[in-house]
Amino acid sequence: MDFTFTHCMLSPNDQKNVFVVIPAYNEQESITKVLNELSSLPYNIIVVDDGSTPPLEGLLKNTPVHLLKHRVNLGQGAALQTGIEFALSKNADFIVTYDADGQHRAADIETLLWPLRQHQTDITLGSRFISNTSQLPPGRRSVLKLARYINFFFTGLLLSDAHNGLRALTSKAAQQIRLRQNGMAHATEIIAEIKKHRLKFTEVPVTIHYTDYSKKKGQTVWSSFRIFFDILLNKLFK
Amino acid sequence: MNGIQILLISGVVVIFGYYVSRFRNALLDLLVLTLFAALGIFFILFPEYTNTIAQKLGVGRGADLLFYSCILFFLFIILKLFARIRRLEDKMTDLVREQAKEKATDMKET
Repeated sequence: MDFTFTHCMLSPNDQKNVFVVIPAYNEQESITKVLNELSSLPYNIIVVDDGSTPPLEGLLKNTPVHLLKHRVNLGQGAALQTGIEFALSKNADFIVTYDADGQHRAADIETLLWPLRQHQTDITLGSRFISNTSQLPPGRRSVLKLARYINFFFTGLLLSDAHNGLRALTSKAAQQIRLRQNGMAHATEIIAEIKKHRLKFTEVPVTIHYTDYSKKKGQTVWSSFRIFFDILLNKLFK
Repeated sequence: MNGIQILLISGVVVIFGYYVSRFRNALLDLLVLTLFAALGIFFILFPEYTNTIAQKLGVGRGADLLFYSCILFFLFIILKLFARIRRLEDKMTDLVREQAKEKATDMKET
């Protein structure tokens, strides 16, 4: 009885099973805050602990979270793929990827889900450059501009934001996309997979909070070179 | 036979022996290896032949020819090793992922 009652209360859209996948590697300082922000919202949360030392498990006691642990550190791409596969096994309708370093705003998730709920698109990608609400540290803007053209070079798609961790996918899209880039190059790989499987995508404006912590954990110019070579080597070796 | 020849030949023999003891079942590999070892020992004993080959290819000395072909050979080995590491990484990723999914815990109940 209870069950049918709640059914009537919700509009069809609210019943959608949303899973937020958070890959986390040594994010002890920020993970609790991120989860506090998310736990009031009607989403299922998956944290993939990518081999953190000390493990994140202790910090996550009694939180509404599915915790998956990589025994060894594999990289953000691998953690995302693990979380996405687990979400699919739990019959997720929509899967959101979300960074653990506190850069994202939980309120942006609904903005990303909206076009999916309307069946307009298969994937929405967060972009900090559509509206100018993010205060970028100096230097970061030019690195991302460069990365944008590197992505274009490898994938043929020119997006406004090259490396934004906030995305939303339908289960159909998530089943087709398979990330083989364990490291940071997965951001480019996702775009390549979108193109390969001819998925429909939309860029959606989101706000990125730059904190001292996230700046410290974030990508540098040097890591963009590493990503570049990861992609290049992956092209050579299937 | 001079000193360096004894040193090089015993090196070839030791490495060859090691490979034979490890790869007893790979017949094709062993044949190729035997051929290489035999060629190696031959050129160590009669180094003047390498000069003849080198000059036919437009390289001054046999030692230079050997140097150039070694660079190519090692580049090839590096690529092979890289591909193998990549395959190993893929396997490890699959294993770690499988385990992570199997042991997923709902933290509400902890």
